[in-house]
Amino acid sequence: MSIQVENNLKKDENTEIFEQKAHYMACNIAADGPANINKYFEPYVADDNGELSASFRGYPLTGKKMSLPEGYTAVVVTEAKRPLAEDADRKFQVTGGFKEFTNWNWDKKPSENDKIVGALDWIHIAEALHEDEAQ
Amino acid sequence: MIKSLDELKDLIRSKDNFNNFLNCSDVPEICKSEPCMLGVDEAGRGPVLGPMVYGVAYCPVNQTKVLQDLGCADSKALTEEKRDDIFRKMLTEEDSLNNVGWVAEVISPNYISNSMYRRAKHSLNEVSMNSAIALIKKAAESGANITEVYVDTVGPPEKYQAKLAAIFPNYKITVAKKADSIYPIVSAASIVAKVTRDHALKVWQFREGLEMTHSEFGSGYPGDPQTKKFIREQIDNVFGYPALVRFSWSTAELMLQEKAATCTFEDVDDEGNTKKKPKSISSFFAKPDEEKARKRHKYFEDRLLTGTNPFE
Repeated sequence: MSIQVENNLKKDENTEIFEQKAHYMACNIAADGPANINKYFEPYVADDNGELSASFRGYPLTGKKMSLPEGYTAVVVTEAKRPLAEDADRKFQVTGGFKEFTNWNWDKKPSENDKIVGALDWIHIAEALHEDEAQ
Repeated sequence: MIKSLDELKDLIRSKDNFNNFLNCSDVPEICKSEPCMLGVDEAGRGPVLGPMVYGVAYCPVNQTKVLQDLGCADSKALTEEKRDDIFRKMLTEEDSLNNVGWVAEVISPNYISNSMYRRAKHSLNEVSMNSAIALIKKAAESGANITEVYVDTVGPPEKYQAKLAAIFPNYKITVAKKADSIYPIVSAASIVAKVTRDHALKVWQFREGLEMTHSEFGSGYPGDPQTKKFIREQIDNVFGYPALVRFSWSTAELMLQEKAATCTFEDVDDEGNTKKKPKSISSFFAKPDEEKARKRHKYFEDRLLTGTNPFE
């Protein structure tokens, strides 16, 4: 099977679509799809000199804005219809993206020890590992 | 200082209903010199909707007559109109203004949920005690010459009394069940708390954009049909409820378990540390699973990194 990702959105014409707000939540949410972030979450995000706080389902959250590593961007893709056959070709559309996101912890200050920070570090390490020696 | 119930409404409306705030009277001059008694009571402990309010009232020990003239008696026996009327008098009548001071703390539903859902859980009792302690301190710091403290409690009085006595060694402290109906100064505190709670619900504004008023979501008690309807119907699949709701109440918890997307937070023990899943005894005797995929290095495990194909 082949996987096609199609992008009909030009980057310079759609800056807002590619710079959306993203939240990395402190819990697993068994839902996939749109969420009323502007109504239920954003109004309550407080910023105390870069230390963010908010609440999700009554749980206290503390957060910090994080950027993606240099040269990387995040894209959101959707599939209009998943084919029934397992080996059929798949087609995805790019619908947006983000350059920074907020890392939310449950009642714990965001720090270098957070798993997501470590995960992003891997990108640098992988680059170093796979870089051509000649360069 | 506010001078009417309308001003009370305006004041509450001007505050952020996601967080706690204090509202207090001026300290009557006489309370700065004469020894004073202070009463503590709460309103809105049980409801699943809206803030809990703690109130303290104080006046000179020899001025019980002012409290009686105001009509301070068992506040549960008073109608809402009567309570409003007494609080209005406390805000306007000379006799009361010159002798009776008060402080109220509005504890937001979000603060209550957040406290009960911390990694190391805070019970509602702890939230309550901390508020009571803060209000007594606030009255004293504002200049009131407190000598006696009377506290209404729903839990066992002995432990609570010992705790307060340790914090305020110079006060004569009495913690009692139904103190509200025994001591007029506690009745006064109860009226301050109840009237504030009633008005906080009346002027509640949903930052989630819900156009709904007090008459539609009811008293907030889980048994109230209007409140039941609200809890059943105002559910967002991802976020659950608007900030009016105390998420930590079982009424709300159970409804979300049934009707909203499941959310799983890290499993923690009582101190808030991450729980390690215990291995079952039988697992030690089982044959090692040879089919099991090779375990990834701890470096990758710690960072939640796995080889993946998101399109699968």
